[in-house]
Amino acid sequence: MMEITICGRGGQGGVTLAKIIASAYFLKGKYVQAFGVYAAERSGAPIQAYVRIDDEEITNHNQVQHPDHIVILDRTLIVPQIDAAMKPGGTIIVNTTPERTDCQENFSGRKLASIDATGIAVANGLGTRTVPIVNTTMAGAVARALGLSLSDMLAALEHLNFTGANKTCARQAYKQVKTFIVEGIPSEQPASTEVRHNAGLFDDDLGGMPKIKTGSWATEKPERRRLTPPCNHVCPAGNDVRGFVEAVGKEDYDQAMKILLETSPLPAVCGRVCPAPCMEACNRAEFDASVNVREIERAAAERGVRPPPATVSRDQAVAVVGSGPAGLSAAFHLARLGYPVTLFEADKELGGVLRTGIPTYRLPRDVLDQEIDYILSHGIEVKAGNPVGREDMLRLSQDYQAVFAGTGLQNVSDLDLGGEGPVKPVQGLHFLERVRWGNVRLDGKRVVVIGGGNTAMDAARSALRIGADEVRVVYRRTRSEMPAIHEEIEQALEEGIMLDELVAPVRLTDSDSGTLLTCQGMILGPPDDSGRPRPIADKSPEALFDIPCDLVILALGQSHDISILPEGAEIKEEGTLLGLSGAPVFLGGDFATNEGTVSAAIGSGARAALHIHRNLSGEDLFPEPEERVADSDDIKFHRFHHRPNEAVKTLEPMVRRRSFDEVHLGFAAGPDGSGASAEASRCLSCGVCNECDRCLEYCPEGVLKRDPEGDGYLFDLEYCKGCGVCMTACPRGAIYMASL
Amino acid sequence: MSAMTPSKPYRNHLLRPGNTNCAGCGMSVGLQFLDEALGDEMPVLVIPSSCGIVTAGAFPTSGYGAPTAATTFASSPAVASGISAVTNMNDIDNPVICWAGDGGTYDIGMATLSAAAERNEDIIYICYDNEIYGNTGGQRSGATPIGSVTSTTPQGKSERKKDIMSIMAAHRIPYAATLSIGHRKDFLRKVRYARSVKGFRFLLMLSPCPTGWKSEPDQSTELIELAVRSGLFPLYEIFDGRRYRINFRPDDTDVSTYTKQQRRFRKVWGDTGDLQAFIDAQWQYLDGMATVFPAKEPGTPGTKVERL
Amino acid sequence: MSRMLATGDHVAGHALAMAGEANRDARGCCAGAYPITPQTEIIEYLSAYNFTKGRIVLVESEHSAMGVCMGAALAGGRTFTASSSNGLAYMTENIFAAGFYRLPTVMLAVNRTLGPPWNIWVDQGDSLMMRDAAWLQFYCDSHQDLFDTVLMSFRVAEDPRVMLPVIVALDGFVTSHTQMVVDFPTQEQVDNFLPPCVVPHHLKHNHPTTMGGMTFPNETEHHRFEIQQSMENVITVLEEARDEFEEIFGRRPAGVMETFETGDADMILVACNTMARTLRNVVRERRAKGEKIGMIRTKLFRPFPRRELLQAIGGAAKVGVLDRNHSPGSGGIFWQEIATTLQGGPDILLQDYLVGLGGGDVTPENINAIIDDLQRRETASDPQWKDTTK
Repeated sequence: MMEITICGRGGQGGVTLAKIIASAYFLKGKYVQAFGVYAAERSGAPIQAYVRIDDEEITNHNQVQHPDHIVILDRTLIVPQIDAAMKPGGTIIVNTTPERTDCQENFSGRKLASIDATGIAVANGLGTRTVPIVNTTMAGAVARALGLSLSDMLAALEHLNFTGANKTCARQAYKQVKTFIVEGIPSEQPASTEVRHNAGLFDDDLGGMPKIKTGSWATEKPERRRLTPPCNHVCPAGNDVRGFVEAVGKEDYDQAMKILLETSPLPAVCGRVCPAPCMEACNRAEFDASVNVREIERAAAERGVRPPPATVSRDQAVAVVGSGPAGLSAAFHLARLGYPVTLFEADKELGGVLRTGIPTYRLPRDVLDQEIDYILSHGIEVKAGNPVGREDMLRLSQDYQAVFAGTGLQNVSDLDLGGEGPVKPVQGLHFLERVRWGNVRLDGKRVVVIGGGNTAMDAARSALRIGADEVRVVYRRTRSEMPAIHEEIEQALEEGIMLDELVAPVRLTDSDSGTLLTCQGMILGPPDDSGRPRPIADKSPEALFDIPCDLVILALGQSHDISILPEGAEIKEEGTLLGLSGAPVFLGGDFATNEGTVSAAIGSGARAALHIHRNLSGEDLFPEPEERVADSDDIKFHRFHHRPNEAVKTLEPMVRRRSFDEVHLGFAAGPDGSGASAEASRCLSCGVCNECDRCLEYCPEGVLKRDPEGDGYLFDLEYCKGCGVCMTACPRGAIYMASL
Repeated sequence: MSAMTPSKPYRNHLLRPGNTNCAGCGMSVGLQFLDEALGDEMPVLVIPSSCGIVTAGAFPTSGYGAPTAATTFASSPAVASGISAVTNMNDIDNPVICWAGDGGTYDIGMATLSAAAERNEDIIYICYDNEIYGNTGGQRSGATPIGSVTSTTPQGKSERKKDIMSIMAAHRIPYAATLSIGHRKDFLRKVRYARSVKGFRFLLMLSPCPTGWKSEPDQSTELIELAVRSGLFPLYEIFDGRRYRINFRPDDTDVSTYTKQQRRFRKVWGDTGDLQAFIDAQWQYLDGMATVFPAKEPGTPGTKVERL
Repeated sequence: MSRMLATGDHVAGHALAMAGEANRDARGCCAGAYPITPQTEIIEYLSAYNFTKGRIVLVESEHSAMGVCMGAALAGGRTFTASSSNGLAYMTENIFAAGFYRLPTVMLAVNRTLGPPWNIWVDQGDSLMMRDAAWLQFYCDSHQDLFDTVLMSFRVAEDPRVMLPVIVALDGFVTSHTQMVVDFPTQEQVDNFLPPCVVPHHLKHNHPTTMGGMTFPNETEHHRFEIQQSMENVITVLEEARDEFEEIFGRRPAGVMETFETGDADMILVACNTMARTLRNVVRERRAKGEKIGMIRTKLFRPFPRRELLQAIGGAAKVGVLDRNHSPGSGGIFWQEIATTLQGGPDILLQDYLVGLGGGDVTPENINAIIDDLQRRETASDPQWKDTTK
């Protein structure tokens, strides 16, 4: 008589496999017997089924004690001693994958027939992800291992009305099964030492804990993960955007400031002028509207207390050239690391473009001054009114252990509009500089601004504020391609500035009726290198027209002035300069990257500081490589309620168009901050656990616990059945199921 | 703070780890919520033949962290009546809770249930309704929805599900409500309200059975949410059997998003006309009742009809 | 003590009520109750009784009546109910449940023929059907015996050495609806006789246990073995209770059985309930004629008192059993039990007589005919039906 024990899990079809094997022999004229052990089988619980095959009628109805062969349906059942009662010479037919070694560890001296039945069954769509039904697949492997022909087994499957994928799986398994003998000596069944106590109905100690460690039922286990939120991923300054937004959500503004200052010394500035790519990337945009991160950052900077500054603790002096956002960021980070920093600035006042290029109605001077004061309080020595030229750079590289140069974009792009008329185009940045000093008025004048960036908008809005009668912006693409912050465009239009889209300036001429800017109408063509549609001249005759004007402002972008760099110096990746004999010189900000935003400059300065620190100390403080970015598929939007953005206050257009008072006034529900925290609580915390407790609350087994160390949650894998409800319950993709 | 704080040892969990429920069993989630709603209070559980008693595991251990009586299939309301009669006369305040499946409620236990309700026994009766005889391997019951394949309706059930809530309402019991394991706060509030009143309280909980529904275990709570959102399983309360309050209104979720995730609906899949007709009729009735006989207590939670 | 005229149902109801009332300083009492002829008057009596701490739950079926009793006992209360015939059959599932749960409920079974056909008269087939349900069974021959047996039943059922439910059987109509004289004790006397009911395995609040959950073969067998051991304790406990009963109430109640003229008898007849009283009269008459006839009234049916019965039969050569019940395909149920008892013992002629089935009146003439038949017999035959013995 041949006896087979099948070890499987409730729901995998072990009893049916017994029937299939028995049928195969039955069809060959044998006497057979197939049965399972019936108890309170539950999906996932270990179960056994048995097959007997003989030439005589079978009269033994006991469970199989010493099988000739064992079939293991689930790789998690490959455990020590499962083969202990097996007779010598038989085969263990096991569902496993070649890369696993547990068969070798547990089945020494045994003959194995190994097959990846789960892989085959899943590929053919049998069962579900968590409980693939592998019995028909295993039947193929069993046939091969027991010396049955494939057609014998297929006949058995047909006999039991298994068709299609089931037969395909059996066929694949028959062909793919690998047979080998594991080295070593087979394990022997240890003598049972268990003394059984039968509890009585009146015993005192009834009602003890269940003895089943249901963790052994699981085929998958939950694991926590931390994806990269898209806001963090795109922030040019490297801010932990999600982190500080969460802190504001909890009204912990000091914590928010602490998080911000880890990466950026200018939160009050960024909270006003950052184009906020984080808001573009925000997954919530797909649901209702992006979280208003910029405004939240501003609120954090207004309400959060900045921690006491660090003091100088090292002796390797570093020079920072340029006090724009990149220079300030580099100086700040270096000072925080304890380096004595000297900051060189050509202007009398610090701030670079923040002061010269951004009008005060967007960035009030006191806000800027406050942030600079805090940066300087870290023991930074300032040398203002101190332009640094090529020779100076060479000297600095001798005098200091490291030099950072972030001098921005000093060269402006020009445009030849011909003519030598009375109206000569002025550069936007120069215009803004003049406005800054307050010695220019444009009362009654018509102004045309050429360009679509922030400088264009700043120039246009400033022109209005110093009395211009009519301001129009001409841009050769459409509004949606304009690089300016969209809100700025919106506000400009509210203030009465006109926008001429798809218009390119051609020439400037004088006429009897005054100065005329001749313009060419454009149409959008295929994308150019920047990915934006390329503007193409409209050939129709009416596309050429004139705009009468009194002043033309050019805002076409800037480029860096490399004349301060030593001759022969070569810019290497990571912004270092080669070819100098002195200390290393690092370049940063727009000067090196031409990204054109404050936040990019801050990030660049910070990274340079880390480079310098690594050079000087050998210590690597660069952030860990990012995890995968959490995209909208990771977010379960139906878990969230639609909620519009919190209202923000701005000065009325009719008031602000003639005033340099700050336009933005923060959240309407301020200054108690409720608007900021309410807005921050809209954050989905994409891919990052924010301890919302939903996994804990919905765990069917109650085996999720808060980590006593305060780091979120712990899964008790001794009991976790691996159902995956926690994964589904997590609204933000911070839990996944790993296979066991 | 959740009931599942680390300070609560496993042996005090109402549903203890190591219980034999299938992974993703809806009953398990329901018991966790029940535990949370009751807080430190330990109920007496009365459980008729069902998966719920197998949950207790093998004697002498107990899968339940509460005194629990297993009863014969039809008897849980009768046994609970006896328990509550004696506990009440001894001023023991622990709630007596029947925890029964749909077979024990809609079918074999109907007479016993009806009688206990009619006597207004001081019992909380919770039916975890998985719409099949799950413990015997998934046969049709009076709670099986139209179209669902079971081992005794291989072509899909041709009859509609019994309206147990209306039956219970007709007994004019103090409180009847439906519970969703996808809506924890609503669930907790209803159990707490039920706990606060005396007499017979009936709570109906739609309980996914991944094994019988042939659904993914990880989708259990999501499925119930879809059942609520599609209108298939309305969340509502009935006070004194007469006054209705609807807790959530269906949104535009199509019931096929629910059926398509369960192979028990494989004879129907997206063709959910019968189910949709059931839903429409159900809501016509429910809306009518809630309009003509609205629940009146002002200021009580849930007065506001919320949208998901 | 007061002497009253009462029906058997009234006596049974009063005894249950006094026992329930006696538990008022403990957890009180509770019954699930549902009417069926001829026990209805018992639950009517209970429903009208003004318990200090007790509740009669008027349920929708016998099945639930026993359900309530189980629940109340699981909550630690003293429990009782009553039923008959098809009501018992309908209750069967929960009768077994209460037995295997080992809940010390006392149930009056007013014997009535199981139908269909429709028959409301006495036949012991209904209560005997429950012989494997882990319940004790007492059969009562008179109103006083009934009253005393009910009180004794609570004592025995609730004794920790026993802790099993008890059926107290009486004849439908013949006892239940017949007015007889009976002595009722005072409540104080009953209070003294019945200690507070303690169900050791009742559901303890704040101590989680599951009563009746999944139990595997080893433990199930162990529980059956424990029940058997408890059954074997019954007679000891019963004898102790009789002594105390006598002390408190001033009369000695019947024990496991009653014997009459068995000492030198060479022929013994066995019967129970009111039939046994008729038999006693016949035996007395025939003794007077010099015939060495004795009789045994069986009272305790579960556990079956094998040793006591063998002792009582002593040296008699012939034993005739009067069975007011019938197990189709076999015969009388008492006869089966006695046959098992005699198996392997002395060579005795054992003959079964099926009498009074379906409520037929069992008269002295019927019994005389049976005695004549038994006297004539050289060998035993299949169970004899009443008509065939005429």
